[in-house]
Amino acid sequence: MNSVQTDVQIAVCGSAGDGTIAVGDILKRAMARAGYRVIAFDEYPAEIRGFGKCIARTRITTGQVYSMKPKTDVLVALNDGHAIPHVSEVRDFGAVIYDSAPIAAVQEGWHVSGHLRPGHLPYGLPMREISEQSTSANRSRNIVALGFVAGLYRLPRQAFIEAITEKFRTKAEEVTKTNVAAFNAGYERGGETYRFDKLEFGPPARRARSSLSTMMTGNHAIVRGCLEAGIETFFGYPITPATSIMERLAVEMPKHGARLLQTEDEIAAISATIGAGFAGARSATATSGPGFALMTEMMGLGVMAEVPAVIFVSQRGGPSTGMPTKTEQSDLNIAVFGGHGDAKRIVLAPTNVEGCWRCAGRAFEMAEAYQVPVVVLVDLYLSNRYETVVFPDTPPFLPKSWKPMHRDRQADLPYRRFELTTDGVSPRAVPGDVGGVHTATGLEHNEFGRPNDLSDMHLQMTEKRHGKLNAALKHPGITVCKRFGDTGKVDVGVLTWGSTFGEALEATILAREDGIRCAAMKVVMLSPLPVRPILRFLNDCKVVVVPELNYEGQFANLISGALGRPVKRFNRVTGKPIDVIQLLQAIRGAAGKRKWRKSAA
Amino acid sequence: MQRIIIGNGIAGSHAAAVLRRRDPDCQITIVSAGALLFYNRYDLPDVFRGRGDWVDYLVYPPSYYDEQNIKLRRKTLVKDVDPNKRTICLSHREALSYDQLLVATGGTGYIPERLLEYSDSMISFNNYRLAMMVRKALPDGGVVIMLGGDVLGLDLARTLIETGHSVVLVAGDRTFWPHEIDADDRPRYLEALRRMGLEVVDGRRIDRVESSHGKRPARQVIFEDGEVLKGDVVMPFYGLTPSVDFMSSAGIDIERGILVNPQLKTTGDDIWAAGDVCQIWSPQQNAYHFYYGWKNVKMMGEVAARNMTGDEVPFSATVDEQIQLQEDGTIYSPFWEYD
Repeated sequence: MNSVQTDVQIAVCGSAGDGTIAVGDILKRAMARAGYRVIAFDEYPAEIRGFGKCIARTRITTGQVYSMKPKTDVLVALNDGHAIPHVSEVRDFGAVIYDSAPIAAVQEGWHVSGHLRPGHLPYGLPMREISEQSTSANRSRNIVALGFVAGLYRLPRQAFIEAITEKFRTKAEEVTKTNVAAFNAGYERGGETYRFDKLEFGPPARRARSSLSTMMTGNHAIVRGCLEAGIETFFGYPITPATSIMERLAVEMPKHGARLLQTEDEIAAISATIGAGFAGARSATATSGPGFALMTEMMGLGVMAEVPAVIFVSQRGGPSTGMPTKTEQSDLNIAVFGGHGDAKRIVLAPTNVEGCWRCAGRAFEMAEAYQVPVVVLVDLYLSNRYETVVFPDTPPFLPKSWKPMHRDRQADLPYRRFELTTDGVSPRAVPGDVGGVHTATGLEHNEFGRPNDLSDMHLQMTEKRHGKLNAALKHPGITVCKRFGDTGKVDVGVLTWGSTFGEALEATILAREDGIRCAAMKVVMLSPLPVRPILRFLNDCKVVVVPELNYEGQFANLISGALGRPVKRFNRVTGKPIDVIQLLQAIRGAAGKRKWRKSAA
Repeated sequence: MQRIIIGNGIAGSHAAAVLRRRDPDCQITIVSAGALLFYNRYDLPDVFRGRGDWVDYLVYPPSYYDEQNIKLRRKTLVKDVDPNKRTICLSHREALSYDQLLVATGGTGYIPERLLEYSDSMISFNNYRLAMMVRKALPDGGVVIMLGGDVLGLDLARTLIETGHSVVLVAGDRTFWPHEIDADDRPRYLEALRRMGLEVVDGRRIDRVESSHGKRPARQVIFEDGEVLKGDVVMPFYGLTPSVDFMSSAGIDIERGILVNPQLKTTGDDIWAAGDVCQIWSPQQNAYHFYYGWKNVKMMGEVAARNMTGDEVPFSATVDEQIQLQEDGTIYSPFWEYD
């Protein structure tokens, strides 16, 4: 039996319009179809065509991994100018595949073959010529290159042909035929090419072969979570990188009898979401930073009026319009604190694609259970990242449910929608419930919902709105935080949130291989913050490193503010995910410094 | 100063090392048709001793090129050279500018014209990839049919026999190339090959070479008299032919190889040549002469590099070119020696 463990990362780099992302898409779908685990992440420009650089990175594995690899094993250059800066990302003895017969003369120094490191292995391929020979056109050079990769590494051809067929199923039949022909021509050439590198693809893992495994992005996992939780209404306004949530829901929701409306802007979207939530529907919206900034006032209304609503926020580079197609984690502050007043809300930050699905589904439960807007905070990296996920046969999400009006209450007494209860959660009525007439307002109010700004009432209601959320920390079916790595006392702890967790865990694993006692903790619930387990973790760590994709360290500030503990910040604002090797070096530095301190003492 | 070396064998690689030593600041680019870093082709018979990883054949580690600031462009074919513009044009349509050029492209295995149409049925032994192809095609104890039998082939034959394979040599007028042997001595030398363990077929003219698909033995050589010789692999060893095609439009003097003076300077401005690709003017013989063997070729790289950086030293062969029939009856070729 072949025991080769597969862990190969392939990057395709080209210009917008080269079909770079399409090739990456076919590659990951084919490999997932063949039974491998896949993590993939695409970088692309904000422009539509002919300007910016596109990179489709796909990590193909048999075992469980948590992030993209810091070094690429195979780089396919569809555009030399764009690919040259990424040659250095290829590991020693990794492969670089490029067009050896470009159509136009190349300026001196601008062919990618001139930039290979001595340890790289070059594979020149006349992509254009093969495309022309096999399809009578040169536009399939990207598919030729894909076929070459597949042939070179003896990847399952049928899975690719199926993926190509699926990719172009909505096009004319000729389009599929052309692309299959181009793929086959590339595959044959790859199969004939002598391979100097030692990359091996072992058989896929048994578990990944399960028919239950699915490959999807974080945004599509959110959609699945919404549908399985029984979403009834969605209101949204398109914005990168959240748009694909609405796009997919627009297709799927009508099949489930649910309604989606594209509103005129984000203010209308959040208003309608809260309105639908008030009416008793499972309701959501999705946006990114600029849109979320517009939503904060209405979110305050949701907090004050105790209306369930779910808001998906996919972060991108900011401020303002910022970098629409680059990732960042700089909306933590606005997600947790945004808006005016003491507007406490629940904020969930999933760390992987499966977590997107889980948090999406649970967000509806929590919004209803605690009568509050719930923000699900992801980022472009997680929104667009593909992972192979195994879902349970039966969705675990609870059907629509909330604390009802007291059935035994006296009918002649007014309904106290905001009744002060021990758990802070009041009996809820929705329009149409007999005897449930009440006022819901943005003004501070008494138990009946009537405006009231007396000091005691404001204090009681503020305590109620905050206190009721503590129970969310024990909400069933969601892990608010979790520790990984070494148990007990450790030299270095890595405290993370959101998509950064994958890189942090990979760095932690490498640090442990270095002999550093190291642990990582992911915090999924950012508000309310699970203070006790985080504090226990901090107490176990000599040094705590907090990696995040923002400049000031918004999560580090949150932790320091809540727990009064210093942490070592590791902030990056490159528009890219955290570099595992850089983080590993930070961990080594933190561990070394501590050891030095010990010896000096 | 931009110095380009075409060729990544011992001549080009050693020239690059000497250039760097003598001029720490110049730019050095080696352009190579092969995919690998500089490796020792003379060691390739070791693939039959289980040394299969190409990394084991590297003369320098990858870090050497960074440390020496030598740029190496692999899988890069030179299409032509324009001495007027001082550029070399690569097959992917990129032109590289040079101030000085050293051509060290060596030679490729020569195959007689009448056998060219059977090339697909033969495997030469010019590089690592082909060596691995032979190893893959040759079963344990398999039979190699060696055509020609130049000294490189005979070197391989020694290893093949030591590793339990059979070698049938179809001898001809290129056997022992580049050594020249008197007709009177030839029978004694062929007998020495038989003592080495080779089966020698002499005086027969090949009609054709055929593949037998899916069956063993995989290849057969058919002589003009109709007799058939069967084996697993057919390998041509008829000596080398200089790789000079890309220089044909450069306007420099070429005969069989690139003609150079004793200082290895070609007739083109700022263009030198070294290694198996060049014919060197010998004042003593009043003729151009090829010099072969690792040590000679390495010395040519050294001489060319020194002269490119200001010296005016002539090349002189360091190897005795005579093949020897030793007292114990075995053959010794100085071209089997390398360091």
